[in-house]
Amino acid sequence: MVDGKNQLLFKDKPIKILLAKPGIDGHDRGILVLAKAFRDAGMEVLYAGLLPTPEEVVDTAVNEDVDVIALSLLNGAHMTVFRKVAQIMESRNIDDISLVGGGTIPDEDKPELEKMKITGNYGPGTPLSVIIDHVTMRAIEARERKLR
Amino acid sequence: MEGANDNLRKELLAKLYQYGGHSQVVGITGPPGIGKSTLIGNMSSLIIKSGKKVAILAIDASSPYTGGSLLGNRIRMQDQLWENKIYMRSLANRGSKGGLADSALGSVIILDSAGYDYIIIETVGSGQADLDIMNLADTTVLVLAPGLGDQIQAIKAGIMEIADIFVMNKMDREGAYFAMKDIEDTLSLDENKEFRREVIGSTITKSESYLELINAIGRHREFLDRAGQMGKKRLDFALRWVLEDELKEKLIDPIIAKIHSNPKNASLKENIYQEVDFIIDSLDIRGLLKKI
Amino acid sequence: MVEEQNYYKKKLQEVQKHTELKENAEEKRWRDTTLKKWNEKTDFNEKEYTNSSDIKIKDIYTSSDLPADQEPLLGISGEYPFTRGVYPNMYRGKYWTMRMFSGFGTPEDTNSRLKYLISHGETGLSIAFDMPTLYAIDCDSKRAEGEIGKCGVNVTSLKDMEVVFDGIDLSKVTTSMTINAPAAVLTAMYFAIAEKQGLDLNKIGGTVQADILKEYIAQKEWIYPPEAHLRIIRDMMVFCTKNAPKWNYISISGYHIREAGASAVQELAFTLADGFYYVDMGIKAGLDPNRFAPRLSFFFNSSINFFEEIAKMRAARRIWATVLKEKFGVTDPRAQMLRFHTQTSGYTLTWQQPLNNIIRTTVEAMAAVFGGTQSLHTNSYDEAMALPSEEAVKIALRTQQILAEETGIADTIDPLAGSYYLEALTNEIEKEAYRYFDKIESMGGILNAVKNGYIQREIAATSYRRQKRLESGEEIMVGVNRYVEKDEKPINILKISKEAEKIQLSRLKNTKETRNVEKVKKSLDALREAFRDEKKNVMPFLIDAAKSYATIEEISDVGREIYGGWKEPVIV
Repeated sequence: MVDGKNQLLFKDKPIKILLAKPGIDGHDRGILVLAKAFRDAGMEVLYAGLLPTPEEVVDTAVNEDVDVIALSLLNGAHMTVFRKVAQIMESRNIDDISLVGGGTIPDEDKPELEKMKITGNYGPGTPLSVIIDHVTMRAIEARERKLR
Repeated sequence: MEGANDNLRKELLAKLYQYGGHSQVVGITGPPGIGKSTLIGNMSSLIIKSGKKVAILAIDASSPYTGGSLLGNRIRMQDQLWENKIYMRSLANRGSKGGLADSALGSVIILDSAGYDYIIIETVGSGQADLDIMNLADTTVLVLAPGLGDQIQAIKAGIMEIADIFVMNKMDREGAYFAMKDIEDTLSLDENKEFRREVIGSTITKSESYLELINAIGRHREFLDRAGQMGKKRLDFALRWVLEDELKEKLIDPIIAKIHSNPKNASLKENIYQEVDFIIDSLDIRGLLKKI
Repeated sequence: MVEEQNYYKKKLQEVQKHTELKENAEEKRWRDTTLKKWNEKTDFNEKEYTNSSDIKIKDIYTSSDLPADQEPLLGISGEYPFTRGVYPNMYRGKYWTMRMFSGFGTPEDTNSRLKYLISHGETGLSIAFDMPTLYAIDCDSKRAEGEIGKCGVNVTSLKDMEVVFDGIDLSKVTTSMTINAPAAVLTAMYFAIAEKQGLDLNKIGGTVQADILKEYIAQKEWIYPPEAHLRIIRDMMVFCTKNAPKWNYISISGYHIREAGASAVQELAFTLADGFYYVDMGIKAGLDPNRFAPRLSFFFNSSINFFEEIAKMRAARRIWATVLKEKFGVTDPRAQMLRFHTQTSGYTLTWQQPLNNIIRTTVEAMAAVFGGTQSLHTNSYDEAMALPSEEAVKIALRTQQILAEETGIADTIDPLAGSYYLEALTNEIEKEAYRYFDKIESMGGILNAVKNGYIQREIAATSYRRQKRLESGEEIMVGVNRYVEKDEKPINILKISKEAEKIQLSRLKNTKETRNVEKVKKSLDALREAFRDEKKNVMPFLIDAAKSYATIEEISDVGREIYGGWKEPVIV
């Protein structure tokens, strides 16, 4: 959770997060719930809408100077699409924005996603508090790199 | 650490400020749901196509309870942003006047120094914080639509005076003609204004209306240039904001802390005004004003 | 036809009377004596009981929870208003159809799957498409990378459809295709194959979902603005009514609305409101609703609150029959009947302790049977994670067979009728649906309510409320927020090979090299003209374009040029 020091980190500037489904996938129940949950947890929330491309997601994140990009897919294409986002970030040397993932992601895919620094990768049924804590932790990492 | 960063930030902004002065800052305001974002998206696409540079700052409301916010303006113009590579930054008003003014001012300074022709600021136009933001703008556009009744009345009350251009959006709606006429009538009472204010009718499907708005914004810029007013409001805003901020931090806050720490001031309740008078008198404001 | 402006408001006032509570002396006496004494002696749970629709559940229901004229609200099975079922003998005549959704990977995979099913006596085929096909994106588009064959079969041109139906006589099977935005294109391809087999279209039976309104509400798979899609669907209605009378051109779907987080009442109300819109559209296109309404069928979700689901399905039949008769002047009983397919809820399946999903599916399937469904798909226990494995599909099918042939629940018609609770709940849900109809009408109809985002926001609000109830433990999901197990072993799930992508890409390359480019261009030009002319029916032009081997994206691009895309209103 956010301890004393981190509270200071976010005092004047709450965590800013971009939610995106960068694949051909219109199942937005989960992401709409998360948008509201992050807002109620005090974050500033951007939603990239339906069917953005990975490039558009990264451009938006950079323009908006977010701390975290949260990717979600339920169509089974996460290994291709999440990888594209991570690759674009790497090619542009963006290291002060953290990537987290979620959706229908089988356990066996998780280690490879972690290698791309896409963490979390929660499935349906994960308590919101677990997701919020994880996002907060990753936002702290991003904020520390921004302040460096 | 925080302090060091803050100083660095101030230093940078001060340097960047010198490189600016070219951008026209256009504030676009109006009640929620009136179509501001769509208007801005379409207008910006036209500006880009004419070879000029435009950046957008959009301000959304934060929850007063949690401080969180859904920055929804971006999604309304997302396609145009992506298609035309328009820079946009969403800001939450964070419930407080100060935080927003600070980050908006900083953003304008940076974007101005980067050579944008237009910097568009979008607000919902309600509350003091939003009105204050409009003081950053060289040109203020108020967007209205027919049939919003009381909502428009409330908005108009505060902002009619400071708006330079009016847009009646959703002209395809019933009552649009009379709503437009109503504003024209009010504007005809403008006597001392050196700039003739006008109302533009706009429909989402008609790109002519966006062109008309861009031209009106251009005419206002010409007026500002002639009158030597370009960037003046912004300078005043910056001065006021920086001064207020510093005075609060370095003067008001320590004084209040000192008063509280002195047990002799326990009976302050009865002589608040005397105490303040005493403080002001000891500041030697007259001497200070002579020096500036 | 009886056209009344405030029909739904009047109706709301009428059905409201069915839910007004009367004083019941016996119930009051029991409350003041027996119950009170018992509660004082024992631990009494004061919590409020509600269901997904936020309807408060009483501790006990009695005759006074029903109106005096309850009987006419029910009727008897096979008779207006069909509350007890659309067929006179219901499952005694024939069990519901056990229709399992299938299709994945390449057209070859799907073809051999279909042939396997046919060899085991199945004649009702059901096909799922992958995401690029659902959005009319070609398999060689950059956007389709990693998505080919993932959630269903990929169809980019008629070549793929020829492989899917290779060796299958279309006059001997009926095919249900779950596709919406490009439904007319897939229908055109299907008709093109029928033509190649030398079959007259009036011999061809099947269903396309083509319920575009619920796409804007829930599943979010569209290409154009709503009006453009609706025009194409209207043309398909008109064309099929004349040329392919056995083709069911719209399956009005609540399933996805529910999966998007709606309550039972919202699913019911928004789905029926969509249905009324299509009826109105058909009438405005000059068709006789007595003739075309039987071609409209429904698709509902069966979720976990047993009685709420049954009540929803019974209310659906009553409302549909009533509104079609009273508002649209439909006189043929066959056109007043609401026939529906049911799928058990995907929303209620859990990743955790997945075998528990078998139990959930069983209860939901039972609700569908008590609700009088015409066909049923039972979810497999691993479906929360991926497309189901063969073993899991088999258990899901066996679940239906056990319900039908062992339990006796289908032995008599509508066995729960007359239950104080179920009938009161049916009346209550009916009332809440009319409340939504009235509200939607006041917003200028369902199309407006969808375009301004009202419907979507209603659903998102319900969905968030439920999530918060789960977080606080007010609502229980076993294995998720109660009886949680640590370190669960992962189960085996089906993986789609990357081969599908390669095969599809090479077939498309080959098609593009061998097709007659001039013919493609001509057919697309003609289609463009038809799109531009409101008075032309686009169906024959779509069939020609399909036959020229124009791809699904090329065909849809013609519409994209004219109509543009569609961006949804802001929901959150």
